[in-house]
Amino acid sequence: MTEAGVLSRPAARPDLLLRRVGSEWVLYDATRAKAHVLNLTAAVIWTYCDGTFERSAIADAIARDVPGLDLTRIRDDIDDVLRRFADEGLLR
Amino acid sequence: MGARRIAVAPQVLEFASDDPIAARALAALYHAAPPTTAVPTLRYALRRPAPDAGRWVATCPGRPAFGPAALGDAWSFLEWRATEDLLNAPGTDAVFLHAAGAEIGGRLALIVGESGAGKSTLVAHLMLRGHCTLGDDVVRFAPASGRFSAVGRSMKLDPNSLRAMPLIASRCAAATVGTLLAAGCYYVSPAAIRRSWQAGDGRPWAVILLDAARRTGEPGLERASEGEAVVSVTQQVLGAGADGAPRQEETTVRLLEVLADVTAYRAVGSDPAAVAAALEREALR
Repeated sequence: MTEAGVLSRPAARPDLLLRRVGSEWVLYDATRAKAHVLNLTAAVIWTYCDGTFERSAIADAIARDVPGLDLTRIRDDIDDVLRRFADEGLLR
Repeated sequence: MGARRIAVAPQVLEFASDDPIAARALAALYHAAPPTTAVPTLRYALRRPAPDAGRWVATCPGRPAFGPAALGDAWSFLEWRATEDLLNAPGTDAVFLHAAGAEIGGRLALIVGESGAGKSTLVAHLMLRGHCTLGDDVVRFAPASGRFSAVGRSMKLDPNSLRAMPLIASRCAAATVGTLLAAGCYYVSPAAIRRSWQAGDGRPWAVILLDAARRTGEPGLERASEGEAVVSVTQQVLGAGADGAPRQEETTVRLLEVLADVTAYRAVGSDPAAVAAALEREALR
């Protein structure tokens, strides 16, 4: 699937494990023996990566959850984070 | 041949030699580990083929004998094997971590850094301030219980570190061993610094990162990313999956769970005594 396809309705690899550590989150990829440190925003975005949410829907959901955030800024953050997830091979 | 047996659970190591110098050198490796009369699981010996021979033969489990060679080389071979054999057979319910640790006011701090980053020096300074240790280079982690525990290996301290620690340096001045494997380093038993040297088992309150990039600046501690600190800890696992030991993935997941609420600090500056004092202040806060 193309990057655009992967990112349109992002779906997390089911074998990855998300764990809270302090005020951050760690996404553990046992297959590649690699751990990724996520900030809260990235961790929240990760929880929406189940293949059913479009990017715009993720932005809307986060905007609902965290009132006062600028929607354009949220969309930019989501694009950045999803691209990082894709680059790291964390999405299906 | 005189032999000394010590327990480093789950192994019983035996070090044997009929030469007093060699026996003392061997004893320096795990001086602080408890002696035992149990049947040895790992046997090491350092002997001379003939009483007047100037060269030595080292024997260990599962490998051809090393030597005849100079005492330093034969001893270094045994130290390497005694370390590797132990790390590769941690048992079914434990792994080892390449890390140091100390107990300060009842709270455990796990210290992580590359070789040469200053783990041993920081631990020595903490011990001089009256605290116990989990070890300066290797600590044990039991995934099932989530607890960390001490390993009775001797600490390696270089002369630069010792200059700031005259009490320990005075003991090294009388030592006959210590410069064989790591050039210029002394093998210092934690039991020689404090009779009750061993920190109690437990879960760390903090992870301290020793990072070459932060050697400059006002010496002390700064807060660090807990996520990055704990990921660093997961990268220090030794012996996972070997000989029935817990697997790497299982160990990593448990470390993430057990260390979920640690506080992370990064040591700053080039004064380990000041870092030790700062760590003590944080722990006793």
